[in-house]
Amino acid sequence: MVLPFSYHWRNLFVRKTTTLMTLLVVAAVVGVFQWLLGFADAITDSFAVATDPRKLIVLKPGATAESNSAIAIDEFNALYQVADLARDPATDRPLISPEMIVQVSLPRLRDGGKTFANVAVRGVTDEAFLVHRNISLHGDGFSRAEREVIVGQAAARQFGGLEVGDVIHLGYAGDRVYRVVGTFSAGGGPMESEIWGYLPSLMNAYNRTTYSSAGVLIAPEADAKSVIAQIAGPAVELSAMTEGDYWEAQTRLMAVYLGISYVLVVIMSLAAVFSIANTMFSVVAGRLGEIAMLRTIGFSRRHILSGLIYESVVLCTVGGALGSAACTAWLIGVGNTKDMFGANTFTTMAFEIRMSGLIVGGSLGLVVLVGVLGAIVPALRAARMHVVMALRTP
Amino acid sequence: MSGADIELRKVHKVYYKDRLEIPVLEGLDLDIAAGEFVVLMGPSGSGKSTLLHLIGALDSPTAGSVRVGDARLETMSERQRTAWRSRHVGFIFQMYHLVPVLTAAQNVELPLLLFKMSASDRRERVKTALDIVGLAERADHRPNQLSGGQEQRVAIARAIVTDPDAILADEPTGDLDAKTSTEILELLNLLNAEFGKTILMVTHDPRAASYGRRTLHLDKGVLSREETRAVRPPAAAASG
Amino acid sequence: MQNLRRNPLRMGLTAVAFALPMAIFVAAISFVVTLGEVAAHFQRQLRLGVHHRTTLTNPLPEGVRRKIEELDPERSRLTAVCGMRWFGGRVPDTQNTITSLGADVDTFPTVYSDVEMTPEEIEAWNRERQGCVVGGNPATLYGWEVGDRLVLESTVPPYLKLEFRVLKVLDNKERANFFYFRRDYLVESSKDAGLNDPRCNVFWIKCKSQAALRSLQQEIDALFANSPDETRSEDENAFVANFLQAAGDIPGLMRAMAVVVVFVIALVAGNTMMMSFRERTPELAVFKAIGFQSGRVFLIVLAESVMLAMFGALIGIVPAATVLYLFPPRGLAVGPISGLEVSWIAVGGSFVISLLVGIVSGLWPAYQAMRLQTTRALRRTG
Repeated sequence: MVLPFSYHWRNLFVRKTTTLMTLLVVAAVVGVFQWLLGFADAITDSFAVATDPRKLIVLKPGATAESNSAIAIDEFNALYQVADLARDPATDRPLISPEMIVQVSLPRLRDGGKTFANVAVRGVTDEAFLVHRNISLHGDGFSRAEREVIVGQAAARQFGGLEVGDVIHLGYAGDRVYRVVGTFSAGGGPMESEIWGYLPSLMNAYNRTTYSSAGVLIAPEADAKSVIAQIAGPAVELSAMTEGDYWEAQTRLMAVYLGISYVLVVIMSLAAVFSIANTMFSVVAGRLGEIAMLRTIGFSRRHILSGLIYESVVLCTVGGALGSAACTAWLIGVGNTKDMFGANTFTTMAFEIRMSGLIVGGSLGLVVLVGVLGAIVPALRAARMHVVMALRTP
Repeated sequence: MSGADIELRKVHKVYYKDRLEIPVLEGLDLDIAAGEFVVLMGPSGSGKSTLLHLIGALDSPTAGSVRVGDARLETMSERQRTAWRSRHVGFIFQMYHLVPVLTAAQNVELPLLLFKMSASDRRERVKTALDIVGLAERADHRPNQLSGGQEQRVAIARAIVTDPDAILADEPTGDLDAKTSTEILELLNLLNAEFGKTILMVTHDPRAASYGRRTLHLDKGVLSREETRAVRPPAAAASG
Repeated sequence: MQNLRRNPLRMGLTAVAFALPMAIFVAAISFVVTLGEVAAHFQRQLRLGVHHRTTLTNPLPEGVRRKIEELDPERSRLTAVCGMRWFGGRVPDTQNTITSLGADVDTFPTVYSDVEMTPEEIEAWNRERQGCVVGGNPATLYGWEVGDRLVLESTVPPYLKLEFRVLKVLDNKERANFFYFRRDYLVESSKDAGLNDPRCNVFWIKCKSQAALRSLQQEIDALFANSPDETRSEDENAFVANFLQAAGDIPGLMRAMAVVVVFVIALVAGNTMMMSFRERTPELAVFKAIGFQSGRVFLIVLAESVMLAMFGALIGIVPAATVLYLFPPRGLAVGPISGLEVSWIAVGGSFVISLLVGIVSGLWPAYQAMRLQTTRALRRTG
């Protein structure tokens, strides 16, 4: 920028109300942008994290999710015949995890327990910790003898009564008391919103004689597609898919939400662009003489153009910073925890909105774009102005 | 540190308003020697300002040639004219057109920003210019803290800071009272006498006319008469 | 009034900057209004839902219905009880699951009186084991009409494939996503497949009054407390509230967007009026010098602000409402919300908000104009 920064900066203060109002419009747009995209990002992130390309989820054919799938024990045992599976280094048995899913209704901490969420309870055995490779235990695991459970960290943060030492009521009649003995993390994926317990104990509690699903880890060099084909084949006759594919199918409504978010962002950005243009036209109108003077001194049309665009970008950047700060403050103050109820899985997934560097960077990019687009027409007009004509104006 | 000579031949200038042709200058010839102080007078609409704009490369003639020093302005593109005038002319207007958000020193510095110079070199030139116009101690004041006369002097400092060949003044005293007008005119006289700047000044004020060695009268786009007088010596240097 | 036309570009920019957020506003408020209407509807329907305390997916025994009915033998508080079982039917060769439920044949028409089955339809329902009642959305999507036969594949054990015949297509929007058939058909078909499971996920009770609903709610939960069939009873709005969280609290998002929009349009309008006032100070001063009374000048400026706001509202609301009317996005269909439909109340409300914003943002410039001292303003043109 040829003209000193203080020129552009101080010009913003000449008409304080106009600057402030335009700034606030940009701030509102950026604040909304960051929130919406932070939310979208958190959702897509947590699902992306879940995808282990070597993990397969096995369901009963016809079921659309673990919660409505039932696999008989002998059907499950057929999985042991499948080739190309990873093996437990200690026992050399194929890594297949039998699992059972039920839900328990727990109060949401976010609104003080006014509403309830369906939280997934998963019955597992030791194999589960080897098949689901991103699970890390914090604290004690559950014992096989006692009625104990471990809770995912996201679940513990968002739902009531899941601190270590608390008890929850599980079981078909809700009368089996299980104690929370530890927590686990799952790399931020959906499993972090679950409660895990010992499979035989939970099957007993819920009068179940079938498993819901199986988790299978394929061998490192194996081809997922061929294993899936084997599982679908006549020997086993179950339905397998990679973990990524499983979660993708659950996210239809989420796609709607994302779509709405993007539409909102585009419309609000357009409104900001028009608002900026309006302001810049007024700015130019008030500085015609000054611009003419700069041209007589020898500043070129391009200098005028870039100077005005620069000023607009500076204004927008300040507005953007304000909006960004407001959004972050909102998230810290009101809480960034959100949850989504999966209509298919019938369970709630908890996640947190975080401001990733990408989103903040995206906000900055948006701000610059809005500043440039809004200022371009008035700046061009100012640059194209016939100097002599403008010199005649008072 | 001297001025350039100016030569206009058969210069026509036509303005277009909607679809009307308004001829302003009709076949004008003009010679100004290097270092001359020339005053240009005439009724409203006679084209005085237009002539100034053409010489200052703010505009191009519709026909004819305009030579300032070595430069043939009528052959230049708009971009070339812009670059040329940043180096070779300094303008002074009736309305001071100072940037209100910048200090006096920053205003004077503006033309220098177009050249590759170090900040310290710019500072030095600005100081020199302000010293010449006698406003060194007001360098950090904003225009709204200066009187009308002081603002005009800042404008003059800005006009000379690039050491131009010619100074073109369009009614420089139009908005000032008699005493301040005199101060400004004395300053211009000084620039011409001591630094040899070619000065072309458009004015209504007959008193101002007495400062120029030659007075040209422009009427309906042509020069009607010309008066010459003795060069008026400058008053004591740099009045406060 | 011609003043607005003086700078058509700037007025146009303001109008568009005003219109765009208003388009969002009318969509968001439509959604909020629709939610309100649905909530009011359910309130009037006086239905109480009883399900297992732990979770909806734990069914309750059939016998619970009789026990509930025995709480009120004179039928002074409840009219009827209808047990429902989740079928989760998937349309063959698609991944789409329809909210499909088996309902008690005898009490379904009574408890779901908003389905408004005619005596002929009730008679057909009683007569045909495979009869079903289909909501408007799936009917339109798959082209089902009265008399059509269709097959749905259950996504819950025992994964039956059942055939149905359409008896009625519903046109009320609260039921647009649903599909009801006879529970006895489901139970018998399950038995044939080897699974004897006549339990119900939820029992819906048609109550006679709000007070009756509340008292029944307490009594039922008390009755089953500390038993294997411990219940939680909720009115329909509370029940539905859980499902509306399905896409991350869209109602909350819509409400928040509405607030942000009002904030933004107030700024846009206010900004323009302030700039306009500042640029036209001499003109306004001339008005006053000519002899316009201060009060008149106030009204002139205010009227301009209002006109600008209403114009912006018009070019924002009308296209948005038209698009939503012609192509309502069904993607948001969940539970009793059959998508985003434009609500005429919302449209009216949007214009009213625009009017208010126009007035409020014009107040300060109008006040300044009124107080303008003529001589000072005219001198400012120097």
